[in-house]
Amino acid sequence: MAADEELRKSYADEVWSPDSQRDRSILYELVSKDFKLKYRRSALGVAWSVLNPLLMMSVMAAVFSHMMRFSSDAIPNYPLYIILGNITFSLMSEATSSGMGSIINAASLLKKVRVNRWVFPVEKVLFAVINFALSLLAVAIVMIVFRIAPTWHVIMLPLFLVYITVFCVGLSLFLATASVFFRDVMHLWGVFLTAWTYATPLFYPQEILPEWMLKLETFNPMYHYVNYIRNLLLYQVTPSLKLNLACAGFAVLSLLVGWVVFRRNERKFILFI
Amino acid sequence: MAETEPRNQGDMSTRSWWIDAELTRDVIKDTEFTRLDVTPTLINPSKLKYVYRYENSDGTLQGETPTQNDPVFLFIPPDAGTYTITAVATAVDGEEDYASVTLRVESSEPFTRPALPDDDAPTIIKVDDVSMVFNIASERFNSLKEYFIAMLSHELRFKEFRALDHISFEVKRGEAFGLVGTNGSGKSTMLKIIAGVLDATEGSCQVVGSIAPLIELGAGFDAELTAAENIYLNGALLGYKREFIEEHFDDIVEFAELEGFMDMPLKNYSSGMVARIAFAIATVAEPDVLIVDETLSVGDFLFQKKCQRRIKQLVENDNVTVLLVSHSIDLVEHLCDRVCWIEKGEMRMLGPTEEVCNAYKSLEK
Repeated sequence: MAADEELRKSYADEVWSPDSQRDRSILYELVSKDFKLKYRRSALGVAWSVLNPLLMMSVMAAVFSHMMRFSSDAIPNYPLYIILGNITFSLMSEATSSGMGSIINAASLLKKVRVNRWVFPVEKVLFAVINFALSLLAVAIVMIVFRIAPTWHVIMLPLFLVYITVFCVGLSLFLATASVFFRDVMHLWGVFLTAWTYATPLFYPQEILPEWMLKLETFNPMYHYVNYIRNLLLYQVTPSLKLNLACAGFAVLSLLVGWVVFRRNERKFILFI
Repeated sequence: MAETEPRNQGDMSTRSWWIDAELTRDVIKDTEFTRLDVTPTLINPSKLKYVYRYENSDGTLQGETPTQNDPVFLFIPPDAGTYTITAVATAVDGEEDYASVTLRVESSEPFTRPALPDDDAPTIIKVDDVSMVFNIASERFNSLKEYFIAMLSHELRFKEFRALDHISFEVKRGEAFGLVGTNGSGKSTMLKIIAGVLDATEGSCQVVGSIAPLIELGAGFDAELTAAENIYLNGALLGYKREFIEEHFDDIVEFAELEGFMDMPLKNYSSGMVARIAFAIATVAEPDVLIVDETLSVGDFLFQKKCQRRIKQLVENDNVTVLLVSHSIDLVEHLCDRVCWIEKGEMRMLGPTEEVCNAYKSLEK
């Protein structure tokens, strides 16, 4: 009987992933699925992840440097200024918009197989982070073209990635939960993102903002994240302790709220999807 | 038994041609098929047209093909028994000849109940006083506006609906357990709770080990991915190790009989092909608990038989606990050791198969 039990156990070990590894392999398979699907049947394939931010930056640089005539003292290099803001913001917007619908899209699966539900929003964030990492190549190209040598500050990039990933995970968990119960959230979020784009100094210098608006920016997480990466690569200064605290604070706050809201409601998902 | 009896019409000497028919195998199981090859003695046989018909031992016609050019006939037996297959060949000038063969189709063993588990076998599924309550009203709000209006006008009262009311049972390792009940009785809700996708409102449900749910096959597949990619994705979602799938990839493909189609996106597959792959992945390993839903009718006739064989293998395995959910009683009677009858969310009966099934059947009268 004991031998039987042992045989059974060794068979199970061979076949089934232990719980801890299971989530990891699901995440891996889902990310690789998204990656394959994004570039399937496009001639340039993954190169688009680099090209896209470059082209976007060129358009914006062409339009806004003529329309707005910014003083060049505030911004050492306008194209680099734009591309850093853009890729950071689109990391957040991609992660949250796709994370938001991830639970609803996995409905057929969640009704059938027991899977940890959080893997779906988290996977979408991870996929956005990978895309972000690829668009850093575009940043490198811009820096080479404008002959801007990177400084040691580059080594702080991983810390920045941790901040913004955690922030996006929290936000996605919250939005995924909200959209399960109220589909309106999905429509509203697009509008909200547009407003957020303009409220964050992505293509204009923060100096043109009125005093009161600048004060409000303290409560805009994206303002801090964009500032952080610009500090590292554009201004090439060490981000202040205050900035670090702001970035970490928003990340932790977002994760806390998102996680609590998600965990308290995930049992009810199946009734609404 | 391979009697090829060319029964040529008329005088042999006046005829310019005739046909012979030969079976690849003349004794087959009802889960298999056999091939009939027709050989005409003619210089240009391509001008012949063929019709195939088969009769059972009473001489009743069971099936007939339309006129075709193919001198090959794939015989898929409708049931066990002795059959006579006749091939009729017609030339352009109207001259015809026929040849008959007989074959025997043996019935494969029907489902048999596994041996009852020992008394000291460990409990695998433990359903303890489970109740499931749905708030009907709360599920109606799909938008914030509706919700707030309802909240402001104090209409947020919930009508309670008890889908399950204090259900308790235990299933031991190796047992085949049936859940019966009419439509809407709460079977599916119970199943979802056991599968772990739905949490009970009251009470608890514990399952030891892995679950292979053979319900709604193919959920979690992505139509854009190729079949091979879907196997890995679905495997991970079901909890298999990647190495295990790599090792058994060929088994899955072979079982699904889809060699050569693995690099095709799933959207180009027919629904039957998708179901074949899904079934093959779900049953490639021996799970601790196998959940079999009544909706399991996958692919064509032959593949269905194959699925049934595989399920039978798993049922007969002492390590696998089988949970069969059905509103049709026949399969449950064949397969299960014990049955739980749920009606309108309440447990009507729990006990040995005969007892419960007889009571359930008396409902029809």
